[in-house]
Amino acid sequence: MTTYNKPLPQPNADDEFFWRGCKKHKFLFQKCLDCGLIRWPPSFLCPQCWSGNTTIIEASGKGKVYTYAVYHLAYHEGFKSDLPYVTAIIELEEGPHFLSNITECNPGDVKCDMPVEIVWDDITAEFSLPKFKPVRVTT
Amino acid sequence: MPDFGTAFSGLASDRKLTKSEKEVQMSLKDKYAIVGVGYTPQGRVPGRTAMSFHVEAISNAVRDAGLKREDIDGLICYRHFDSVNGEADITPYLVAQQVGIAPRMMSQEANCARSQLISALGWLEAGLCNYVVISYAYNPNADPSLFARIADNLTSNVFGQFGATADYAMAARRAMHVFHTGPETWKHIAVGQRKWANLNPAAQMYEQKVTFDDYYKSRLIVEPFSLLDNCLITDGGRACVITSAERARDLRHPVVTIMGVGGHNPSSSIEKSTIMAGPTGARESGKTALRMAGITLDDIDACEIYDCFTYTVEITLQDYGFFQSGEGEDWLKGGTIEPGGRMPVNTSGGLLSEAYFMGLTPLTEGVMQLMGRCGDRQLGPRTHTKEPQIILCSDNGAILQTHATTILRRL
Ligand SMILES: [Zn+2]
Repeated sequence: MTTYNKPLPQPNADDEFFWRGCKKHKFLFQKCLDCGLIRWPPSFLCPQCWSGNTTIIEASGKGKVYTYAVYHLAYHEGFKSDLPYVTAIIELEEGPHFLSNITECNPGDVKCDMPVEIVWDDITAEFSLPKFKPVRVTT
Repeated sequence: MPDFGTAFSGLASDRKLTKSEKEVQMSLKDKYAIVGVGYTPQGRVPGRTAMSFHVEAISNAVRDAGLKREDIDGLICYRHFDSVNGEADITPYLVAQQVGIAPRMMSQEANCARSQLISALGWLEAGLCNYVVISYAYNPNADPSLFARIADNLTSNVFGQFGATADYAMAARRAMHVFHTGPETWKHIAVGQRKWANLNPAAQMYEQKVTFDDYYKSRLIVEPFSLLDNCLITDGGRACVITSAERARDLRHPVVTIMGVGGHNPSSSIEKSTIMAGPTGARESGKTALRMAGITLDDIDACEIYDCFTYTVEITLQDYGFFQSGEGEDWLKGGTIEPGGRMPVNTSGGLLSEAYFMGLTPLTEGVMQLMGRCGDRQLGPRTHTKEPQIILCSDNGAILQTHATTILRRL
């Protein structure tokens, strides 16, 4: 196995629950117990009602592409061999937006509002990344 | 369903102003003026530190105003990016030391809040300062590895999201989806502004002609943006001096007042933003500035719009209300913003083709145009455009997260 040469997550006190969840292939978010807002990025207080009364929920991993970008230039050595690659903001079923990659799809075929679902990428022994692939419609 | 977007409802920034708040704002109309502009060599300028450009721009702005070093009692520096080649980080006190001043007030934005001009007005209005200098400088070409170092240690880097081009590309892509804009619209901005640069000997793209064909053949960087949708990388600096309109009357140049200012900061990063296809901060910021100035868009003779990317110009003009959502191409086509056009935009070439000095590129160009000091690109008979009395300038920071508007007038 070649060494993973892309940037790694750097968990902090706010988001370490998220990365720990990813390791177990669980896509975890904070939910406000007072107003119901499910939020990302993680925050100490709910930005909508300032409640600190928070629980953790597991998201379905389903959503649609809110927007995306197709890289034709690598800003980091680790992504050179991936060109052209797609980053996208996924509008999750539960509400929050999440920035990730679209995989298993030709960059030219990605569209806004395209339904996608989670696919886990186990990048190192410590970290797994939530990525997204198009939902294949079976006929 | 809760609102996950930027704009939670019921914020103070959405509230209607009271009569007395309006009166306070309108009392500032035409009360302050920009009286001097400082330039430096710009483009690829080897052998220079970022600090040296700050010092040169500030001293030139003060001299241009007909003032002396001792007159300056306020200093505001724009943010600075990572210092290169082991140079010290730019701080306003190091800049003050280098230009030999000990100002009563000083500040520097840490990132891209873009409230410099409005802060200056506050210090002047409070009687704390008489002459405030705002400056920006950088020397990015001194370090070829800088481009690779823009990895900024965010969660998004893990997924390969780096830098402003990609974030704005995402905003532009969303706008393509929401109101069907795209390269067909942006080509008018990419090409139109370069025509202004071709009239400005100081512009980095002075000698480079750009056609629609060049635009379509331009190398893709992060789709939907190609190279010609991107602003420049500039070594150099820019500064200007602000004082009262009353003092401005005793100085050398025609008096260019600040007729109105506004600001609005949606703040959410691209990961969370739901305003990337508008309305951005330009909507509220523009309304505030127009209200203070007591005018409408019909009174605007030209615009100097913060143009980090072509799309930024479209969405800013759209949110100011020059055209309805998705009508940008119709409004822009036929050379609207070009020399000879009915609404000249970014008459120096802008950040896309003159030089990148953050909000000081548009602001100082607005001042120079109203002073009538723009040579071959001067608005008026020389460029078959209306002689300008009022120019609308914008500043915008981060990924459409911050916005400021300034309306300038020649008295
Ligand atoms: Zn809440």
